[in-house]
Amino acid sequence: MNGWLVAAAVLTAGGLGPCLWAGSRGTAGRRVAAQNMATLLLCLDFLLLAQGYGRPSYVDLALVTCVLGPAGTLVFVRLLAEELHDEPEGGPPGARLLTPVTLVATPATVLPLCVATGPGRAMAKLLVIGVLLGLGATVTTRALRHG
Amino acid sequence: MADTALVTLTLLFVAAAAGAAVLTRDPARQAVVLSLLGLGLALLFTVLQAPDVGLSQLGVGAAVTPLMILLTVRKVRRRRKRDG
Repeated sequence: MNGWLVAAAVLTAGGLGPCLWAGSRGTAGRRVAAQNMATLLLCLDFLLLAQGYGRPSYVDLALVTCVLGPAGTLVFVRLLAEELHDEPEGGPPGARLLTPVTLVATPATVLPLCVATGPGRAMAKLLVIGVLLGLGATVTTRALRHG
Repeated sequence: MADTALVTLTLLFVAAAAGAAVLTRDPARQAVVLSLLGLGLALLFTVLQAPDVGLSQLGVGAAVTPLMILLTVRKVRRRRKRDG
């Protein structure tokens, strides 16, 4: 059993599980925030799996997720605008969590992976994914807060 | 061993997401749960060593299906408002 796979399992149980819980109850805003958080955690999960299985090509899944995740969230924000309008000032509760979680979880995952892969093209790819995750979190948090 | 644990965990996640999608009544909110189910399925395919299937599932499940459902809901609601 390898450490990366254990980390991926922990992230699945401890990260995606609560996201599903939050996403299946409550207001529309809370659900969308949970879905957005799930895409972020799934992206990190894919990175850990790629390292755990020793298959660098699996990193492509994370790359697709970090682009599609925020795009999906923006679709929800746009099409659920009426329901999101009723949210309290500052957006749904989950939206506030997104930036801190991204700031902590992304470097905590990407930096050890960079150390494990060593310098090269694979490491550049990892860093690009990290930057895209940060940008995605900024854009979606702003969209969720201001509608 | 790690594989079995991961596959079991992911299967549980997919089952829970599918159950939640069925139990949600409002179609607009159901789309959000359906998107989570799509993400779970993509993870399941990856854990089962089929990342190519996971890749297409990611596109279809996480973005396209919810978009189509939400567009349909919007159109139906508008028509209902106009007619009623």
